[in-house]
Amino acid sequence: MATLAPMSFLAVIGDGAISQFRRLRRLTAVAWNVLTLAVRPGSWPRTTRRVFALQILFTGYDALAFVSIMALLTGISVVVQAQVWMGRLGQSQLLGPLLITVIVRELGPLLVNFIVIGRSGTAMAAEMAGMTVRKEVEVLDAQGVDAMVYLVMPRALGMAICVLCLTVMFVVVSFGSGYLCGAFLGTGPGDPTIFVRSVLQGVEPGDFYNLLAKTLVPGLLTAVIASMEGLSVEGLATDIPQAVTRSVVRSYAAVLVVSVIVSILTYA
Amino acid sequence: MAEPDIILQFEGVTVLSDTHLAVGLREVSFALRAGEVAIVEVEEGREHVPLADVAEGLILADEGRVAFMGEGWETMSAHRQANRRGRIRRVFHNYGWVSNLSVLDNICLAEFHHTHRPHGDVVDEAVALARRFGIGEIPDARPSRVLGLVLRKLEWVRALLGRPALVILERPLFGAPRADASLLLAAVAEEARRGAAVVWLTDEPRVCGCKDFESCKRFKMEGERLVPLAPEGA
Repeated sequence: MATLAPMSFLAVIGDGAISQFRRLRRLTAVAWNVLTLAVRPGSWPRTTRRVFALQILFTGYDALAFVSIMALLTGISVVVQAQVWMGRLGQSQLLGPLLITVIVRELGPLLVNFIVIGRSGTAMAAEMAGMTVRKEVEVLDAQGVDAMVYLVMPRALGMAICVLCLTVMFVVVSFGSGYLCGAFLGTGPGDPTIFVRSVLQGVEPGDFYNLLAKTLVPGLLTAVIASMEGLSVEGLATDIPQAVTRSVVRSYAAVLVVSVIVSILTYA
Repeated sequence: MAEPDIILQFEGVTVLSDTHLAVGLREVSFALRAGEVAIVEVEEGREHVPLADVAEGLILADEGRVAFMGEGWETMSAHRQANRRGRIRRVFHNYGWVSNLSVLDNICLAEFHHTHRPHGDVVDEAVALARRFGIGEIPDARPSRVLGLVLRKLEWVRALLGRPALVILERPLFGAPRADASLLLAAVAEEARRGAAVVWLTDEPRVCGCKDFESCKRFKMEGERLVPLAPEGA
């Protein structure tokens, strides 16, 4: 008995690790399938193109106002504070690099990803789970409409593109609002060209890749996770909220893991 | 390329029943040529047989082989299977609608997905078929907002839209006005004359008679077996 407890403890850890590994392998396989389907011209019939356009409308266009407000508030709080503290420390020339580090490299992609998970990832998981429960995926299948081609691939690509575009908009709006607020309060550089030059001086070539990787990859994974969780429900309506919860938790985890890995690979 | 003469072929197909709710199939064999109609009488209380799902390759046979247009489902890739199913239209035993699409989009989905026909042509054909079944306009609403009776007839429209190679009708008159049966019979007979093979699962005596079709085979499900019947009046 004395040896059973540690063994069962190890077994629990081992089971958990194997289960996580299998989930990760499945996620990678589905994401890879999405990418290979996306580059095959035959995978883009007009029905799929329509779903792609609608996904961009729902995830991108419909989120513009909310993301803009978040960017505005972030700009006022972060950019103005950075201006004040850099000024007090006599390090105003470091304002640009600091803002690039905080907003472009970390805060912008993370916040936009979280907003997209909350707005679109949950909706997507619930929609897919509902379709599975109502056996609508089988109806599609019976008509030769492949769920990967029609449901998953266009949504995943649409979401990835939207996260990138919303992040670019987030960065621009937060810098703009921060500058204007600083000018209004008298804390920032009065001349906008000085502010723009300071920010541009902080940009490194790696920031471009960092931004792409921290938006496109998590955006794609969020949609793939939502689809996988939604399509894997067992056929009971009570499974739908659980699928949505799992989708949100795993998407948040995926975003953070990708963000950390990309930061280490880009800047370490 | 010319289409194969035999559209659907079951060769000793056995599908084991996996739950106490489902019925299986045992050693089912038949072949259906272009233009032929197979009427399958289903037993009361056991109306839902997996014949349609097996014919579409959605359920693979445990034994035997199902070939659609000369190819066994089990030999096709997933992409090929999806393309082949694009030539099949069906009235579903269960509720066969995608709830987040409008009824019109549901009806035209397979045509839009599998063909390059102009949007207007597909919609015009759907509207013409709907009028033939007594529906003036196809609702642009979600299926949940449309009467079940209207939805049933719109399922007929979907099943006959385009140029299907195989039409599978699972009790299509269930929930529809009895008086409209003749409209569906005439439309299906016309589709068969155009070269479609038809599998019609039914418990309607009028359909079971096989009198409305030029080339018709009669079968009856007895438990899990498909038993051929002689043509009525023979």
